[in-house]
Amino acid sequence: MTTIRIRNIIFGLIVLILLIILPFILSEVQLNMAIEIAFFGLFAVSYNLLLGYGGLLSFGHAAYFGTGAYFTVFACKFVAGMPLFLAVLIGGLGGAVMAVIVGFFCVRLSGTYFALLTLAFNQLIYSIALKWRTLTGGDDGIGFDKPAIHLPLIGKLDMFSTPNVYYVTLIVVLISLALLWFFLKTPYGNTITCIKDNEDRAEFIGYNVFRSKLTLFTMAGFFAGIAGSLFVIFAEFVSLDAIGLTMSTEILFMTFIGGTGSFLGPVLGAGVFIYFTEWVSDITEHWEFFLGLLFVILILYANKGLISLIPAKLKEFFGKKAPVGGER
Amino acid sequence: MDAYVIQGMHGLVYGMLLFLVTSGLTLVFGMMGVLNIAHAAFYMVGAYFAYTLVAWTGNFWICLILVPIGVGLIGAFVERVLLRKVHALGHAPELMLTFGIFYILAEVVKMIWGTYPLSVSPPSILAGSIPFAGGIYPTYRLFILLISVIVLLILAFIMQKTRIGITVRAAVFDNEMVDILGINVQAVFLGVFCIGSALAGLAGVVAAPFLTTYPGMGLEILIDAFVVIVIGGFGSVWGALLAALMIGELQSFGIMFIPQLALVFQFLLMAIVLVLRPQGLFGEAA
Repeated sequence: MTTIRIRNIIFGLIVLILLIILPFILSEVQLNMAIEIAFFGLFAVSYNLLLGYGGLLSFGHAAYFGTGAYFTVFACKFVAGMPLFLAVLIGGLGGAVMAVIVGFFCVRLSGTYFALLTLAFNQLIYSIALKWRTLTGGDDGIGFDKPAIHLPLIGKLDMFSTPNVYYVTLIVVLISLALLWFFLKTPYGNTITCIKDNEDRAEFIGYNVFRSKLTLFTMAGFFAGIAGSLFVIFAEFVSLDAIGLTMSTEILFMTFIGGTGSFLGPVLGAGVFIYFTEWVSDITEHWEFFLGLLFVILILYANKGLISLIPAKLKEFFGKKAPVGGER
Repeated sequence: MDAYVIQGMHGLVYGMLLFLVTSGLTLVFGMMGVLNIAHAAFYMVGAYFAYTLVAWTGNFWICLILVPIGVGLIGAFVERVLLRKVHALGHAPELMLTFGIFYILAEVVKMIWGTYPLSVSPPSILAGSIPFAGGIYPTYRLFILLISVIVLLILAFIMQKTRIGITVRAAVFDNEMVDILGINVQAVFLGVFCIGSALAGLAGVVAAPFLTTYPGMGLEILIDAFVVIVIGGFGSVWGALLAALMIGELQSFGIMFIPQLALVFQFLLMAIVLVLRPQGLFGEAA
């Protein structure tokens, strides 16, 4: 047991060092992809709270990602001297608030009804963002004037250099993932698995199923909002694409392709998805066809995602919690 | 003719077209518990088939027969080869599978027909306008109305009066019991899915001269169709009819009075219905 533990720690440290020196190895283009994989990875892990851990298929997770992105932009636009990390937190809180409101209506339902209601709310929020032009810029979107970071010892860090953006993204993503990891290890995390396995029984034992599911939904919204903030720091611009249905379906793709049955599987999925959009689209303009094909083949033959095809030894590192199945 | 009457007629026509699309969707859902997202892709494929067939033969009428058969066969393939495999895994993987098929078909359509909007011209007898209720009204819109009503009547007749309809309704109610009684439910599933897809194809043919045929048309109708079956109640054909007409009129008058919020209304309506009556207006309690 302990040897496995030590091996895991050593393996983790190696990965961490690799992540830190990445900007010195990769080209500018590759580093940009790494940033995208990082925040989409966080977004996908937050989505997997619902799909993998909660057994809830949502078609509206972009609503919280987009809300986070918009809130971060607003925070920096309307409050002078807003520190960047606080703006990221505000983005997360924006996503959480939106998720509490929507979740209040949605989490009572399950299965297809839940999927459709999340879709309806996503469209509703999208329509509001589309029509509230004075605030969101409508179709045109709004640019983001990102503030520089002032650190006590190092001094001013310009956010227009790609390595700096990378490090900020990496730090926020790693902290978020660590928080999520420990959150799922708590008794509450086990409650979620219990509810997913048998909702009625959980209710009889005495768990407040509604409140637990709402908390899960809110948590997923919070971290989706954080991911949205990181997205806007990277893209320096937010438009309706960030909040639309396409984004909601893309996150489903990423999460499922990576694997819903493990904690870090969705990050792998984000990587594969980014690879598809960046490189395979150079080879063929019909990359979406192959992505859809991959998706369907995985559903048919490996419904635990690509991560389940990785040898067992390596899988220990990714953590093999949250067995997947359909809803109930 | 009065502007309100025209707007009301537009709403009625679009509503009936929506019904044509959702009737197959709701039939399949009621029967198998699968919300078939690929249904919207079948509808789109139907429209593109009609475009090609009209280009080859110059005859719109045969599309009304041949295209539903073609699309129905695609549907049968999807049910038999793909969907049946994941049936045991539960509804979420089924939903995702149909979504994946939707995604693939949308891309295939782009590969074959390109991304430019295509227009299908209606047969000359249906082009133009005819006198109607003290004014004139486009003939083709009235034709959509006619086709939808015919389909509705045939569906109602089959479901209520024939042995097949009784089997299907019984299987909607309790498919395990029907299976035990010695009816091959798998075959019934296949048949219903095939007919549901054929109805989507027919709706696509009818929509092709009315709406533009372009790769986004599937997604566009998909969202309206979802709203319709949620409001009407999953699996209820009459609910789908009522809800489709409601959405048609809501969009039509919404655009007339408050164009900025026309989009929002239907989702608001859907959210309200789901919160107050999650099974929909005509659905049975889950």
